[in-house]
Amino acid sequence: MTTLKRPAHPTRWFTIVAATVAALTITLGGASAHGPDPAFSGGPFGQNQDLRFRWRAGWEPASAIKTAIKAAAADANASRASKAATFTYDAAGANPIGYGVGATCGVNGLACFTRTVPTSFTMWLREQGHVFDWGTLKWCQAYTTPPSGCYDAETIALDEFGHIEVLDHHLNYATDSDYADAVVQAYSRTRAAPGWNMHTFGRCDVATLQRQYDMQSWTAKYSTCLALTTILTLTAAPTAVLSGASTTLTATLTVADYDSYVRLGGNPIASRVVALQRRAPGTTTWLAVGTMAVGSSAGTYVLSQRLTTDAEYRAIFSSPTAEGLNGDTSPTVRVYVGGCIAATALDATITVPCI
Amino acid sequence: MYLIVNGLIPMPRWSLRRSTVAIVCLAQLTIACTAAGSPASPTGSNASDVASRTPAAASPTPAAASPTPGVSLPRSSAEPPSATLAAEGGDGVAGQLGSFTWNGGGSDSPWLPGTPVKVGAGELLTVTVADGVVVSDWSARRVPAGTANGFGAVGLGGGPAPVAFRAPDPGSWSVQVLVRFAGGLGSASYYWQLTVR
Repeated sequence: MTTLKRPAHPTRWFTIVAATVAALTITLGGASAHGPDPAFSGGPFGQNQDLRFRWRAGWEPASAIKTAIKAAAADANASRASKAATFTYDAAGANPIGYGVGATCGVNGLACFTRTVPTSFTMWLREQGHVFDWGTLKWCQAYTTPPSGCYDAETIALDEFGHIEVLDHHLNYATDSDYADAVVQAYSRTRAAPGWNMHTFGRCDVATLQRQYDMQSWTAKYSTCLALTTILTLTAAPTAVLSGASTTLTATLTVADYDSYVRLGGNPIASRVVALQRRAPGTTTWLAVGTMAVGSSAGTYVLSQRLTTDAEYRAIFSSPTAEGLNGDTSPTVRVYVGGCIAATALDATITVPCI
Repeated sequence: MYLIVNGLIPMPRWSLRRSTVAIVCLAQLTIACTAAGSPASPTGSNASDVASRTPAAASPTPAAASPTPGVSLPRSSAEPPSATLAAEGGDGVAGQLGSFTWNGGGSDSPWLPGTPVKVGAGELLTVTVADGVVVSDWSARRVPAGTANGFGAVGLGGGPAPVAFRAPDPGSWSVQVLVRFAGGLGSASYYWQLTVR
């Protein structure tokens, strides 16, 4: 057994420990890069809550900016892909959106927001021509021919609406190669840099909206920014049949019920492709039977089989390429085939009269 | 040591430099591992530019992240605290605050040029957030100074706190340090313009 000898000088030992910690920290690298946007601890608004906004008295946006903000609200509503709150302009709305020198966005902010769940929000956009330490603000909407280096007010407002929903800034790869995965970014880009004019939520924005607000339906697609574990089960009814009789195999597909999945855990996953496979007991080779039909209950898939010998079945859900679900394979189910006495002994649910 | 801020003369070498580094590192570890109880305080001149507002009356859903147990958090400020960057135990230099989310609100900014700082290549740089606010994790990137829109960003490091990374190669760099605060308090980007010798 090797024992580390403590250096004689306490300060040196202290230095070694600290340097080791620092080196480890540097070596570990970015632990939280990429994935769904972080969510605010304040939680989301209500599912499908209708949040109505008005222009702040005395600080109404210029006409072109109003149009951009309304367009951003429509963008948020159209691309939320979840039960996230919606935004609607209403002259009597409770939530003010302002524009101009009254903006309370700190020293360097183009735009800002506050959110008070579950009741209200505010939003501000800086005025055209505002002089920052880093330059002069140009909104693209203020020009007939937008110049290079202007900010798209629709994109910036969509970013703010995303924050208001529940989204914190997306954590990009170090190179920002995934910048387009989120509108809610830690820094905004100007025309004509990639991502300067995103008018839909990015897939990693949507992923968090889905987790926080849930899906619009059980058939809706999960964001590809997610990688949700799924659970596939399989049952047979009856599990014992007379030779030549049929059994119905029913698969059930759900999202695994993990806390980190927030509202998505346990969701039925409907209208996907689930395949059935079969093998003879005691063998290892699975043969494709076919695709299971969508069942009457959400997340169920059914297929009937006529049997003359015992068989084992399993269901397969392959990872889809166009949504954030991981595939799963069900446990094996065995169906017995026998004479009348054997069958009824094995399965009390058999109601076919034995003749 | 090459920490020169806004034309100030270099700090003299100090015989206890290594132990100072150790103290900084362990202090950050201590912050990360223990409760920090500093009350809120305004963050310099920026604070006056941000309107006061009613603290968020949010009632977190069961699914939402809950504050770290035992952490006393400054909740009254409209902006996150300042962050300082220090090289090899030198004095800290406050960064430029970019986009942030904090206390039920937030602000969005472009990639900023950053506060000028001079450092030596490969020096260990540490970033400390004021007011005892705990950082849960961080990432640092750099682009050549003057680059618009963060193009060509290169990672300098990241992971759980403490925030520490090596100065890049000689040149002039705009460095963004993005931190996420513990307890779901939000996040903030701070910028420095490093002149690396």
